[in-house]
Amino acid sequence: MAILIDETSNVIVQGITGGAGRFHTERMLSYGTRIVGGTSPGKGGEDVLGAPVFDTVVEAVRETEADTSVIFLPAPAVLDAAIEAIHAGIELIVVVPEHIPIQDMLRIRKEAHEAGTTVIGGNTAGIISPGKANIGIMPQIAFEEGCVGTISRSGSITYYVADTLTNSGYGETTCVGLGGDPVLGSTFAEILEFFDEDEATRAVVMMGEIGGVYEEQAAQVIDQMSKPVIAMVGGVFAPPGKRMGHAGAIVEGHLGTAKSKLDALRAGGAHTADTFLDIPRILSEQGIAPVNKVQPQL
Amino acid sequence: MRLYEHEAKKLFAGSGIPCPEERLISSLDEAAGILADCTYPVVLKAQVLTGGRGKAGGIKFADDAGSALAETTKLLKMKVRGFDVNAVLVSPKIDIDREIYLGVTIDRTIYKQTMMASAAGGVDIESTAAENPDAVVRVDLDVDQRFHAFLAVSLGKSIGLTGEALKQFVGVARNLMAVFRKYDAKLVEINPLVLTKSGELIAADGRMSIDDDAMYRQKSLLALNLGDRHEEGERTERERQAKEWGIPYLDLDGDIGMFPGGAGYGIMGNDFVVRYGGKPANFMDSGGGPSPERIARMLVLLDENPNVKVIFGARFGGISRCDDFAEGVIKFLREHGLSKPIVMRMTGNMWKEGLDMFEAARGESPELFKDVKIYGIETPIERVVEETVERARALA
Repeated sequence: MAILIDETSNVIVQGITGGAGRFHTERMLSYGTRIVGGTSPGKGGEDVLGAPVFDTVVEAVRETEADTSVIFLPAPAVLDAAIEAIHAGIELIVVVPEHIPIQDMLRIRKEAHEAGTTVIGGNTAGIISPGKANIGIMPQIAFEEGCVGTISRSGSITYYVADTLTNSGYGETTCVGLGGDPVLGSTFAEILEFFDEDEATRAVVMMGEIGGVYEEQAAQVIDQMSKPVIAMVGGVFAPPGKRMGHAGAIVEGHLGTAKSKLDALRAGGAHTADTFLDIPRILSEQGIAPVNKVQPQL
Repeated sequence: MRLYEHEAKKLFAGSGIPCPEERLISSLDEAAGILADCTYPVVLKAQVLTGGRGKAGGIKFADDAGSALAETTKLLKMKVRGFDVNAVLVSPKIDIDREIYLGVTIDRTIYKQTMMASAAGGVDIESTAAENPDAVVRVDLDVDQRFHAFLAVSLGKSIGLTGEALKQFVGVARNLMAVFRKYDAKLVEINPLVLTKSGELIAADGRMSIDDDAMYRQKSLLALNLGDRHEEGERTERERQAKEWGIPYLDLDGDIGMFPGGAGYGIMGNDFVVRYGGKPANFMDSGGGPSPERIARMLVLLDENPNVKVIFGARFGGISRCDDFAEGVIKFLREHGLSKPIVMRMTGNMWKEGLDMFEAARGESPELFKDVKIYGIETPIERVVEETVERARALA
């Protein structure tokens, strides 16, 4: 089991004929991801690495039964692409591009929420369910099928945590990159709930970072969860950042610092880790045993 | 991107928000001429991209042109919390009856555009909000949801406005929301929104920050030629150089040069170094998928920093590929030579290609690589951090 994506996900690539779309389509295919097609207006009828190209998402859904989309398009094109996918009935949209205007993300989120579509990103490295499907730009080297779910804002940190879980024999059920943009399609809180319902997931590791209040919001969900959550927050020793003005401080209060996030997460019942190597130690303390054979170090 | 007060007020006034009649002094040469034209008394306000201006001495009062010129001269030369003063705004002194706070921002956890108002406007609004949250009243709107007049009326009433002042407030509030949306703002703020003794609402200050990611479609703002904004106070020489190269970089006071991959591990890598007893000399963000050229430049910044004893590198190739990373490091070593030990770890997309490139280059010129250590996926990042910290300690 896994969350959001697995070997039965039918995936289309919006922007499949572009450089990044083509490059990562090849990588995703080589992992075994079911890329059933792609879109590129005006190029309907062509194919990319055997995947048929359609002019619209509606046509792609009709012809391929696609349920998942990954977007590789310039930021100004993401709003229309995501809304098109939502209207065509896509259930999960992974938004890889960064620098999407905030108002566009608010519009995408609103329509997605009303339609029951899940949006991940923008500025996400994607989602991987090891051994099943890899959607986005994550390198497969760090991942192995296992029993721990991960959620992070940052691609590189996802890789380090997965690397640690893989090397200690825990492996991963699904790793979700929430994305680095200021307004995200999904929150830690929402993804934690998916993991709590997934039978194969024994524990969740979430890696937050300074800024925003998504981690504080997650703390309230952790309190209700049946599984242990291990949390790390980047930026504990960061120099004080720039301030946006009073309005941000009034809305977010004293929240948003690494300390406030760690305090809130602990109060919600999360176990906090200082370094990646703390993660397998905490899992073991929680009575969770590795599920994979540990490979001898190279 | 933050706007100066005078720029924000120009946009406010253009959207029907009452603002004072003001004059802008951009240089000392024009100060005497402009000040001779003013009606006194006046308020002189340093134009800086930081808050807390009043408390830092950036606001002065003058009763005549002579003292105004003396104060303006001082203001133009001063720094406010490390920020250069860009200009001085000359504003008529207002007879204040009440000071209101009015602002709009985005509440990211509920995906709303949130307007906040408080009867307790002025410099202490943040502490007021923290100590007495009920003193701030908010309206949460969906993107594109109409800000109906009755919502603004309720907001105004809830901060104690009545009669003519309430009617004016409805106009100001709706226009401020319109400005926020029209210009893709992350923040707009009037603090204080003054109710004068003669019963008029007027925006005595203005603050505005635009979503950088939406600037491409804000043609009217591009026309203002906002240019390069120093939003982080005064930069060091290296920070200026990095800015020119488009690399997010901050000098810190340690001795380990941080050469990270990605912003996420850029932040966490610094935490790790501190946890293992080291001190980072900088923060840096490679950005997604940096070119070999950019990677080489990141190393130049660290090489030229006299505080850096050892360079710590971490690359986990996702969209950033290890072959590009290796090419950048090799390019740097060939062009600049090796002056500081480099300890790094490299894995992820194209790691094998990257490693082969390093081995080939090492074979060609072993002396360049004699103090370059490259670990792979077999070594936890923590061990690499530890070794780096030990090297720095030995060289200290």
